[in-house]
Amino acid sequence: MIFLAKVAEIPDGARKLIQVNGISVALFRHEGQFYALNNACPHRQGPLVRGTLEKTAEGSGCFIRCPMHGWRFDLATGDSRGRPGNATVYPLIRQNDELYIEL
Amino acid sequence: MSIRMDQIQPTIDREYDYFMSEHPHWSLTKGDQDLELVAHALRVLLHMKTTPQHLSEYLALVDCQHADGGWGKMASNKESAAWVTAFCALMLIRGNLSLKHPRIAEAVKKCARYFLETQKEDGKWSDPSWADLDAVSHPISFFDVLLAVGKHLVDEPTLAKVRASWRKGMKFMLDRQTADGGWYDPEFHPTGVEITAHLIQDSIVADLLLGDEFNVRECCRKGVMKLLSVQAADGSWDGENVDHTMDCTRSIMLVCSVLGMRAQCDRAIERGLEWILKHKCEHGWPDFPGMETNLERTCDGLDTLLKYRAYSQPVTTAIVKLWGYAA
Repeated sequence: MIFLAKVAEIPDGARKLIQVNGISVALFRHEGQFYALNNACPHRQGPLVRGTLEKTAEGSGCFIRCPMHGWRFDLATGDSRGRPGNATVYPLIRQNDELYIEL
Repeated sequence: MSIRMDQIQPTIDREYDYFMSEHPHWSLTKGDQDLELVAHALRVLLHMKTTPQHLSEYLALVDCQHADGGWGKMASNKESAAWVTAFCALMLIRGNLSLKHPRIAEAVKKCARYFLETQKEDGKWSDPSWADLDAVSHPISFFDVLLAVGKHLVDEPTLAKVRASWRKGMKFMLDRQTADGGWYDPEFHPTGVEITAHLIQDSIVADLLLGDEFNVRECCRKGVMKLLSVQAADGSWDGENVDHTMDCTRSIMLVCSVLGMRAQCDRAIERGLEWILKHKCEHGWPDFPGMETNLERTCDGLDTLLKYRAYSQPVTTAIVKLWGYAA
């Protein structure tokens, strides 16, 4: 379990790029929930931390859209909705006001 | 023009040295590679006019062509995909203009067969990694070059099929241009910037080759105006996207040269180029400002500078040649 960030560093709606053991992790806070994904899009390694957040059609979830070629991933699962590759999602653990990640 | 070549040329020289120092990371002669990166690298060799010294790089690409005429994302992949096959096909047909190697010529024929056999009824090609408009634009670009400078590579019946396939693909693209001049895909290209830049440069050849058979002059003019209208105040496109800014800058250079719109476009091109130069890493370019350098983007950056060098020449064909649309 590796320290990632303090909760207060990421206000709701914000995102942050954090280097953990040589891996670029994109940390998002969306509607109170935290999500951690590998920053490299599996398509052409575009930086997901610079992507656009979009609500799912049913409104219960959220996608991050890669800024390079538009692949979209479910923030919670990394699912790409049928593209030949999913984003890597890392489990997050919140302890008081700190976030930890399991790689 | 406010950007002088004596400012650009030293950067071209330095970046080409850096690119060559990264040879093990892009060369198929050194092992398995991402073929989109390989194609970007071969384009640098083409535009630096060093292709004749690198025959082995082009033959290595021939060596990993599949029996169906295509290639996969990685050289080692067994399944062919339209997008990357078009990239590879373009580099082989253009490289062989100077190399004139029979194995490469044979590989180009196989590429043509691949695209003839995989085109859908409505004129598109499909690739799950890309939007349909992406997947159609690159094979059309290959056919553009084949029709412009490579007719001798295929027999007459095949050439007739290529012309018919090209028309269907062009129609698929042109039918999907929107009233504002842009092309969009809700899944892959909601802003429409990159795809519009690609499609105007791929379709302008219809004006050059076929006397504006599809009224592409107006389509391309509208596409250029769309791109000009969404350029940011800092000169970039698509949220400081280096790749898309390079795409737009290069595409506008070609299309405005062919359409005689340079006076309207010169300043936008210069602003794009100034932004690109400002956000260069010590060596090469990143995907976005502040990120690490990236070899594929570095190839695009070098290509952009080389195309600007051609654009700065008084002869329009100088830049047309850098798309392979003229020998």
